[in-house]
Amino acid sequence: MSNDAYSARVRDYFARPAHAGDLSGGVAVDIDEQGVRIRLAALGDRGRIQSLRFRAWGCPHVIAACEYFCARYEGAPIESLDVFQASDIMNDLSVPVEKTGRILVIQDAVRSLGRIIGGGSAA
Amino acid sequence: MVDDFIYLDYAASTPLDPLVAERLHDCRESVFANPSSNHAAGRISRAMIEGGAQQLAALLNVDPGTLIWTSGATESDNLGVAGAARFRSHRGKHLVTLLTEHKAVTDVFQMLEKEGFEVTWLKPDAGGCLDPAAFASVLREDTQLASIMYVNNETGVMQDIEAIGSICRERDVLLHVDAAQAVGKIPIDLQALPVDLLSLTAHKFYGPKGIGALYIANRPGCRVDPILFGGGQQRRIRPGTLPADLIAGLGLAAEIAQSRIETDLEHLGKLRRALWAAIRDVEGVLVNGDIESGFPGILNVSVSGIEGESLLLELEPICVATGSACNSKSQEPSYVLRALGRSDRLAQSAVRFSMGRPTTEADVEFAGRRYRQAVARLRDLAPEAAA
Repeated sequence: MSNDAYSARVRDYFARPAHAGDLSGGVAVDIDEQGVRIRLAALGDRGRIQSLRFRAWGCPHVIAACEYFCARYEGAPIESLDVFQASDIMNDLSVPVEKTGRILVIQDAVRSLGRIIGGGSAA
Repeated sequence: MVDDFIYLDYAASTPLDPLVAERLHDCRESVFANPSSNHAAGRISRAMIEGGAQQLAALLNVDPGTLIWTSGATESDNLGVAGAARFRSHRGKHLVTLLTEHKAVTDVFQMLEKEGFEVTWLKPDAGGCLDPAAFASVLREDTQLASIMYVNNETGVMQDIEAIGSICRERDVLLHVDAAQAVGKIPIDLQALPVDLLSLTAHKFYGPKGIGALYIANRPGCRVDPILFGGGQQRRIRPGTLPADLIAGLGLAAEIAQSRIETDLEHLGKLRRALWAAIRDVEGVLVNGDIESGFPGILNVSVSGIEGESLLLELEPICVATGSACNSKSQEPSYVLRALGRSDRLAQSAVRFSMGRPTTEADVEFAGRRYRQAVARLRDLAPEAAA
């Protein structure tokens, strides 16, 4: 059992969040809950997610989880956002159970993003 | 391994002084007998303990007989507070302490409240200081004990123990002082300072972990009920076989501290000034606690728009603390900083830099640069509203 509070993937995503930033011309959702503030922005094209960006204020797991989501879902069908599961992040990034609430905030943001991008509302 | 990080967490623990390490090694080779045994080997252990007591007594300017060995400051605080409160409970059950005390003190007071004691919890001012007049105003006829820490472990704020102790003497109230962050770091003369009970631990001043002491003044009415039972050692106040090697190590650490306390203070003062100069113009940064009257080995700063846990990770390889080390697994903002009036978010962004003898100017320059970079990057990552 590791004595490091962060898995190697969390450290890597936290140190090099390639998708941190803004998008012009896309849609975005902002959430401020559970001591976490995130902004997820997406650009869709012909049923697929063309680009994803995020900004986040939170613990390293939250920042890493946002990067994980963006890296994984760029290019995916927009419908896939509707079934996004926080448990994927929890398992893949080895997030401690006491941070479940924060990761659920990201799940809420992703699903909201799915509804907005599906409906085509601009940020 | 040591080269992999820059250690700025000396308030949490200090490394062994090399001479102390050598003494411990020597003792462990040859001094192993039970000091209570009346044979030649036992007498050697007893002599080591007596030597350690004399060295610590010299640092504090007390009689060695007033010192009770414990496992560290937590046990000393428990014994000093609970032991004295219970011993004097027939006289009254009112106790006084400060909201910003270490958990080793506040948790004991909470336990005593469950036993029927009444506790007045004093709030410090915005700088973390306790006004002696405010302290005096809450004392009552039935007040038996007050516990006020010397140097706050999170902020470095120093209380006016001389004034508070004088008030206690006038009102026949015992004063316990948690001096875990003070002993070996600032001059303490217990012949001059009106303190009845004082807790300390060796590992905060370059001694070994697992050994501490409680000073109990030789004054009428100044006694403690034991909290451990099972033997006649240490006048039954704190039974248990004494670790002669650890006590010898503590004694030598005390002797070394006494010889260089002023040099250390000057060194730490320079480092803190350099560190603060390196970060003071970061937008939204502020010092927690009164920097003018604080212990120079600690600089605790908060900064707006930054999440503390991410800041700590971003600061690697610098080893610092967000809250007190004893409480750092908690995600709650520091109760000490909340008591100083900091918002949850500012308290949560707090970083405690604590310097020590081995710290260099290059270390604090690097830490200052790293702090600025970390704040800038995390602010860049944050949504606009939080920045």
